[in-house]
Amino acid sequence: MTSEVSEPGSPSVLEISQLRVAYEGRTVVDGVSFRIQRGEIFGLLGPNGAGKTSTLSAIEGLVRPASGSLLVDGLDVEQQPLAVKALLKVQLQSSSFQDELSIQEIARLYAGLYGVKLSREQVRGNTRPVGLGDELGKKFKQLSGGQQQRLALYIATIHNPLLLLLDEPTAGLDPQSRRGLWRHIEELRAEGNSILLTTHSMEEAQAVCDRVAIIDHGKLLTEGRPSELINKHKDGPRVLSVAHGAPTLEDVFIGLTGSEIRD
Amino acid sequence: MTNTGVNTARPPLGLALRSLLRADFLVLLNGKTSVFLSILLPVVILVANTFGKGQSRLGGSSLVIGLALTLGLLTSGLFGYTLALAHDRDVGVLQRLRVTPAPTWMIMTSRVLVQVATNLVASVIVVIVGALAYGLSLNPGQYLLVIAVSVLGAAAFLAIGQAVVGLVQSTSAINAVTRVLMILLLLLGLLGGTGILGDTMKSIAAWSPVGALMTLFADTLNASSWSGQDTTALLACIGYVAVCATIGVRWFRWNSR
Repeated sequence: MTSEVSEPGSPSVLEISQLRVAYEGRTVVDGVSFRIQRGEIFGLLGPNGAGKTSTLSAIEGLVRPASGSLLVDGLDVEQQPLAVKALLKVQLQSSSFQDELSIQEIARLYAGLYGVKLSREQVRGNTRPVGLGDELGKKFKQLSGGQQQRLALYIATIHNPLLLLLDEPTAGLDPQSRRGLWRHIEELRAEGNSILLTTHSMEEAQAVCDRVAIIDHGKLLTEGRPSELINKHKDGPRVLSVAHGAPTLEDVFIGLTGSEIRD
Repeated sequence: MTNTGVNTARPPLGLALRSLLRADFLVLLNGKTSVFLSILLPVVILVANTFGKGQSRLGGSSLVIGLALTLGLLTSGLFGYTLALAHDRDVGVLQRLRVTPAPTWMIMTSRVLVQVATNLVASVIVVIVGALAYGLSLNPGQYLLVIAVSVLGAAAFLAIGQAVVGLVQSTSAINAVTRVLMILLLLLGLLGGTGILGDTMKSIAAWSPVGALMTLFADTLNASSWSGQDTTALLACIGYVAVCATIGVRWFRWNSR
């Protein structure tokens, strides 16, 4: 399924066409296609094992697609991997920074990897909005979960990437930290960044995403603005059977992907 | 909070490499384990052997210093480097680095370079302490040879460690394998080399990484002329570097999941 372009004529920052990813012969992403425009926040929603992280991994160049095409700002991910990586920044779900490095040292490392030179004062100034400006000497292993997440988001935006990939960025955060991250994500969009995020939180998807796609068993089931998806699917029998009152995006999600618990 | 304007230029590799080297060096320094294994442990062995008759049983001061140097390289290569690499793979540090524009070869090269440089500094310190403790007088050429042998030894043990991380995925299994491997290599190099276990084991020990390195270090410190035993030791070390590095690179996985 290919999305309608939200702003006709505007260039796509990411264009995925008929993507198929397989691990040891098992297909985990099957013919997924969508586009993300500049300055757009796009949410990829799906239950555990639906293919969200595999889709992200293919964009990041961590896994090689079995077929299909992936273009970032017109560059082929497979043919120009390093040039594409320079346009992206990724916040991986299951990744970490070096325990023994301080915030200051981590910031300077990742800035250098993206070609940005930062002084100590610049790091201090840049980390202040995410509440880490006074913690620069703290080692990564000494940070709380929320501080680690905020550091990860700061690092993810250190070189002002064209496209930011966030894999469940608010997982495990308290409501205050989550709201803070949403605010920050919206600021990034206002600066012209495009964002692709995966999330299990329908509240988050509705709050920050311009468009969302629901994926399950490796296939894209539906795509559109959250309000459009609710309108489109609100009368479906499976959606109505799980809705308590007026259907929500979560009802649509469960209606389309089923109620069984996934591992 | 971010720079103005979206950055679309590919970053310079020099800056990326410098940033990686700096970070890897800081990790090593902040972690302290590798520094302890590289410097303090060999120095403790040297000093401990100045008491009692341990020195003569091990075959003289040059062999004791050679043993201390080899042990420093072995422990920091197999324990320090290997376990740090396995841990970083397990928690996702490597994946995070891998999604940056830095080429993967650069990420690994930086780690290896920092480890080898640390080993070199450690070797020089150990030799100086050893020379003072045992009253040896070494000329600059011998120091240079010790550095050259240390590079070879560090490369051999790092390659063995890389092969372990390449072949074994689980961090706890790597931990167990490296401990067993270290004991086996030490026993083979030390006991096998004395001839206690018979001539066959003595020959095998001469080709083992610990035995080969101890031979090269001892002959360097003794200023002995080049012998067939040295050729065997040199070929053995080069063989370990070539074979184990190939295995370690060929089967290495960036993600343990």
